[in-house]
Amino acid sequence: MSLLGERERDAVASVWEHLAHDVGVRLDVGPVATPVALLAAGGREIDTNAEARALVEELCALSDRVTLELFEHQEAGAYPSLTVGAGLRYVGLPWGYELASVVQAVAVAGADGPALSEPSLERLGAIERPVSIDVFVTPT
Amino acid sequence: MLLAYRCALASPQITATAVETSEFPTWADRHGVMAVPAIVVDERPRWTGSVPEDVFVDRLLAAVRETGTAVSD
Repeated sequence: MSLLGERERDAVASVWEHLAHDVGVRLDVGPVATPVALLAAGGREIDTNAEARALVEELCALSDRVTLELFEHQEAGAYPSLTVGAGLRYVGLPWGYELASVVQAVAVAGADGPALSEPSLERLGAIERPVSIDVFVTPT
Repeated sequence: MLLAYRCALASPQITATAVETSEFPTWADRHGVMAVPAIVVDERPRWTGSVPEDVFVDRLLAAVRETGTAVSD
């Protein structure tokens, strides 16, 4: 069963048709989980690992520039976990509004040119030690 | 989330993680997340809400300076 509607697939394909570079996407999934009712999935009871796998596989098939590596873990953990390019990890099922963010993240990773404005790049260049940014989001 | 990712692409020192709060409530509770998007820098909650790029970079650098001295002037 397709998780994305035709309009969604067309929208993703049109964003990704401008990718200038290949983008690697990695999906880590945990063991089969107890289904949870997820508001973002319309209140359906779903196994987020299985749903993420089906969704990401369907997404990545929409562009030749986007390649998917899948890792299955036997122990429970913070899964599903999606890694886009070198710097972004998304923990959870990227549904709803956050799906659009992931699609945009792939577009940014595969774009020619800098990710930020020149002044921002210069200022961030002054950071001399590792820094982690965690962003807590909801999918609606 | 996208701005955090753009920062991660712009600096090899920065990593960005987005966490789906409703699936990982304990993780969010640990940082006292009450509203989203909530931004946590180096494990310390910093601000809530979407801001423009220059403000995001301002706040990020302020957070980095506060927790260490590893920003050259």
